[in-house]
Amino acid sequence: MPETILELANVTKTFKGKTAVNDVSFSVKRGQITGFLGPNGAGKTTSLRMSLGILTPDRGKVTLFGSKPGAKALDRVGFLPEERGIYRRMKVIDVIVFFARLKGVEAGEAKKRGLKMLDEFELLHAAEQPVKTLSKGMAQKVQIISTLVHQPEFIILDEPFSGLDPVNQKSLERIVRAQADAGRTILFSTHVMEHAERLCDKILLIANGTKIFDGSVKQALGEVPRRIFLETVSEHDLVALLDAYGDVRRDEGGEAGVRCWSLDLAPEADAQDVLKACVDAGVKLTRFEPVRAHLHDAFVHLVENAGQTIEETADA
Amino acid sequence: MRNIYLIARREFLSYVATWGFWLSLASVPLFMAVGFGFLAFLENSQPTRHYVLVDESGGDLERAILNGISAQPAALREEVLEQASELITLPPQAQQMLESSLGSMFADDGYERVNPGSTDLESLRPYLTGEANIETPAGPQPLFAAIYLRGSVDDGIEIEYWSANVTDDGLKGLIERALAAHMRSTRLLEEGVSSEVLAAADALRPVVRELNPEREGGSAEITLADRLPVIVGLAVGFVLWIIIFSVVNMLLTAMIEEKGNKVLEMMLASTRHHEILVGKLLGVAAVSATLLLFWTFLGSSGPLLISQFIPSADVPVNDITSAVLDPALLLPALGYFIIGYLMYGAIFLAIGSLCETLQDAQTLMSPLMLVMMAPMLIMMVAADAPDSAVVSIASWVPVWTPFIMLARLPHDPPMIELIGTTAVMLVTAVVVIWGSGVLFRMGSLNQANQETIKGWFSFGKKS
Repeated sequence: MPETILELANVTKTFKGKTAVNDVSFSVKRGQITGFLGPNGAGKTTSLRMSLGILTPDRGKVTLFGSKPGAKALDRVGFLPEERGIYRRMKVIDVIVFFARLKGVEAGEAKKRGLKMLDEFELLHAAEQPVKTLSKGMAQKVQIISTLVHQPEFIILDEPFSGLDPVNQKSLERIVRAQADAGRTILFSTHVMEHAERLCDKILLIANGTKIFDGSVKQALGEVPRRIFLETVSEHDLVALLDAYGDVRRDEGGEAGVRCWSLDLAPEADAQDVLKACVDAGVKLTRFEPVRAHLHDAFVHLVENAGQTIEETADA
Repeated sequence: MRNIYLIARREFLSYVATWGFWLSLASVPLFMAVGFGFLAFLENSQPTRHYVLVDESGGDLERAILNGISAQPAALREEVLEQASELITLPPQAQQMLESSLGSMFADDGYERVNPGSTDLESLRPYLTGEANIETPAGPQPLFAAIYLRGSVDDGIEIEYWSANVTDDGLKGLIERALAAHMRSTRLLEEGVSSEVLAAADALRPVVRELNPEREGGSAEITLADRLPVIVGLAVGFVLWIIIFSVVNMLLTAMIEEKGNKVLEMMLASTRHHEILVGKLLGVAAVSATLLLFWTFLGSSGPLLISQFIPSADVPVNDITSAVLDPALLLPALGYFIIGYLMYGAIFLAIGSLCETLQDAQTLMSPLMLVMMAPMLIMMVAADAPDSAVVSIASWVPVWTPFIMLARLPHDPPMIELIGTTAVMLVTAVVVIWGSGVLFRMGSLNQANQETIKGWFSFGKKS
């Protein structure tokens, strides 16, 4: 059983009467890449700040490396906040050394590591330049180096992809993957599902301050009904024909004489059985397209369902 | 502690690397050096004022005025020299230089009589109103004033003083004093006092000995050594105010910049709020201490340098040095500086953490600036009347205590006030630092901004 790096148990935080995080519990295990997903304002940043002890929960308990978040535990963590900046007048290498030293790295070692990482990030030429002379993308790389230079065991990235162009997003994905391969535990928040789907071993979904999903990407995708798009040129009524396999709908559109349908498969149903039923009934199919669900669909589905649940709870 | 040290070090180095720091360092000695020269320059750069003097009484008054005007600057010069000699005994060469420069400053007070030909007011009016210029050896010049002297019915003298300049009354004063002296002499001569007796009476001066009732015998005489602590106390109070005022502004601008650049968020990922707050305060305190030490060094070594380079100058080096380095002043000054700085520094840091821009901060700064300006004015009152009720009451305002009590210390204020004001100041400092810490924490996490503070002071108002 892998070691638990971070654990939030029934944590609640309220600001001026508004509940930002409501009775949330989750844990992060060593070696995992965990995606912390949720719409804007869902409570992700507040949860991450409580994880590091920057904010204290009103109720519940936070454990980082087996104890309350403190200075020693913080030295083992690399945190890249959502709102981030660095000293604009300082030289790039000095900024990196400063943040490394705050994490307990000796000055000489910090400089050595900083220069090595700048080389890896193709920024060695800018080491002696003031930060203000760098482009936004370069400055963000320096921020990431400052977060990682002390070689933390646990890396927390709050919306790391926001503000990055596609090339730099790809580059950051590679960095996250490389850190994970080096045995680091990673927790990152995002509302861009593609990154989470590609990177995460596990995802946590939070909406309106409440946790609505905690599991693997596969499990999350299992929450979304599998869908098949069909187009027919025969007069068959697929609602009646395929009712046993799931929820069938007649869709708008299609060319003249073509009828469009969509079928959300029931959990135990199989697409092959649907195709066989159509063939056996003599349905003239011009399209039969099972669609693979994406995390985005799972996200929307889970958030919408959670919204209903929250509303129902409020009504009751 | 490690993080506090690292943050303080970074703050110190970032300030020392700025031009502002070096300008601040040089400002006090520079202003002192330039100040005197600038005053003399201002004095010399005054344009010569040309005036017309019309004596309708027969010529006696005119002579009296011309004699009086030439005598008065000399009297003023003597007065300044006398005051200077009370403070310092200069060698003969330096004395001559001072006399010569004072001589040029008080030569004729910048007034020159002219004779435009016509003396009736209607023909002089265009010159007085600036519509025409009079011819002088220096070329055409405006006429500053026209003075008509005539005897009045009751044996007095009537002066009609015509001038478009209603603020510069220097010439009027000179004439008034010269004629008053003339009238006095005339009356005494008429009463039978001989001119020799009159001259001897005018030359009479009392011998003043200032004595301290707390001492007896020869040691009761008040000397420069007695006055220096008062001067130094006041000077240290002002210097303290200048330093605190300069560095807390540095703190504020740096804090706003960090908030705007989102550096604070990065810092919070590595360290705690209180470490950031304390580290910043200590870093800027080190900047202030550098300024204070440099200025103290100058203040104490300046007289020594003068005595080294001008050996014949009787500079009371020991008196000045011991007044500057007197533990009875230096230690309280250090304490007041630390407490005053921590109070104001914490407040300004908290304000900075609530604001994204300087414009945001200005709303909160304005009332604070008024609070900070008050002790400057009260210290001036304390210089002359340290026991006045206003000064005494103001000493109890904790944010003013550091400055006002420093100015009062050489006057030996009552022990109850000394202890009481210090206790109130210490308690207030603790409360202010704690409150600022809370605000700083809220501000740095964007849980509060300048609107939050405004909201506190708008209770009862409905939006």
